[in-house]
Amino acid sequence: MSPRLFLHLLAFEFRAQLAFRATFWINALAGFVAEFGVTWFVWSAVFRESGKEVIGGYTLDGMVLYFLSVVLLGKIVSGREFEGAISGDIYEGTLNRYLVFPAPYTGFKYAQRIGFLGTAFVQFALFGLAAILILVLPPGNVTWASVGMAAVTTAAASVLYFLVDNIIQYVAFWADNVWSLDVAKRFVTMLLGGYMIPLSVFPGPARGVLEVLPFRYFFEFPARVLLGEIAPGEWAKGLALMAAWGTAAWVAGRLLWRRGLLRYTGVGI
Amino acid sequence: MRRYARLYAYFLRFSFSRAMEFRIDFFFRVLMDALWYAVHLAFFAVIFRETHALGGWSWDQTVIFAASMFLMDALQMTFFSNNFWWFPVLVNRGDLDYYLLRPVSPLFFVSLREFAANSFLNLLLALGIFVWALARYPEPLGAGKVALFVLLLLAGVYLFYLMSMVFLIPIFWLQSRTGIREVFWSLERLGLRPHGIYRGWMRRLLVSLLPFALLCSYPLEVLFGADPLRVVLHTAAVIAGATLLTAWMWWRGLRSYSSASS
Repeated sequence: MSPRLFLHLLAFEFRAQLAFRATFWINALAGFVAEFGVTWFVWSAVFRESGKEVIGGYTLDGMVLYFLSVVLLGKIVSGREFEGAISGDIYEGTLNRYLVFPAPYTGFKYAQRIGFLGTAFVQFALFGLAAILILVLPPGNVTWASVGMAAVTTAAASVLYFLVDNIIQYVAFWADNVWSLDVAKRFVTMLLGGYMIPLSVFPGPARGVLEVLPFRYFFEFPARVLLGEIAPGEWAKGLALMAAWGTAAWVAGRLLWRRGLLRYTGVGI
Repeated sequence: MRRYARLYAYFLRFSFSRAMEFRIDFFFRVLMDALWYAVHLAFFAVIFRETHALGGWSWDQTVIFAASMFLMDALQMTFFSNNFWWFPVLVNRGDLDYYLLRPVSPLFFVSLREFAANSFLNLLLALGIFVWALARYPEPLGAGKVALFVLLLLAGVYLFYLMSMVFLIPIFWLQSRTGIREVFWSLERLGLRPHGIYRGWMRRLLVSLLPFALLCSYPLEVLFGADPLRVVLHTAAVIAGATLLTAWMWWRGLRSYSSASS
């Protein structure tokens, strides 16, 4: 796909996102306040009631900063609202028009997804800054270097998430509705990816398994890179594992896509 | 009343026959909710490795809270969720016209037309977890308290419906794709954790203007020693207020509804 077409699609989707501006920002603000607020209350209660100063290697301020990073970076990585776009095309038969376009379908959808995420970048900057100022959070070990490393990691995590998500989306060739499967995936990735609880709080044996699964690379890894908790060597190793999981997901996705296209009738609902 | 009961029986029959057309989705729904239950129980289990109490509740009490939450969710998913999903579509496309012309309450039709037969199995699963959570509680709970608790939970389901409608009805004026329904989904998270973790104005807000604590947390306090009369009166007052607000908003919304171009 040509970079020009990619950018055109991206910009088009970004503009479409802002069609209902007031509703969009009300939803975005409520979503952030509720999600981050609940986490803040939960962990404040845990620290208060346990009497501990440090849990899973974090003080309360450190824990709050971790969740702030996870919630905001998670929006960029997962693009939750975009989920279901591919299965929708398959179910409704609108995949037909993409198949005759002179551009690969996956590239087309990825460009749309990035455009869809444009607003998540704005939210990251606005809400992140507001939360830090309101809660007077210390910056931790965040440096310009960690910000740069986090930008690379977040971009890689976004691609990995898209490739893993595609596997579920392509199930729509066999099952009419994969919405439930999509939501089930979200529950699992949120728990096992460190979105609900930092992985360092999990019991030791579980932590060992979670370190090698792809889920932590969606949420926990980019957040910890941003917070300066990951050394360059460990970062490189993490990126290599992401590449390995991404390749595996891409191969699985291609297989499902090819087999699925053989079943696809293009009739839709 | 009999007419409405007969009509609802038709809704059920239609929903079950349609659910059978999407058998794989039926299985996925069960899987999704089973995972949702597992994820929440795992979340609390990991948290309780670090603390002996959360919001003043022990692990055993939190398990009952989680089970109540599952039951509440399964009930609303089965009876209301599909209707909430379709409501903005009905208004934006003007399909609400067909409901307004029928000789039954349009609110009844809009709220209960779509019974989610594919969530019904999950309701049984949630009920099983609920009974298990109560049975494993180490101290005697008392039949009277359990009965009142169950009644308050059912009242919580009704309150959940009212709150959902309060956030859905603005679609009449906003005319956007989903209105402010996503705000409700976000705020709903506040009720998924024990009420005791909240402090100050947030705690008061959650039992008054945004009464998410009245869905599961407050009913549970009856089981664990709170004054039942206080809880019942408080819940009744909030439900009465929410009913009046919903009815008023519905009436105003219908007045603003301008059919297909709405």
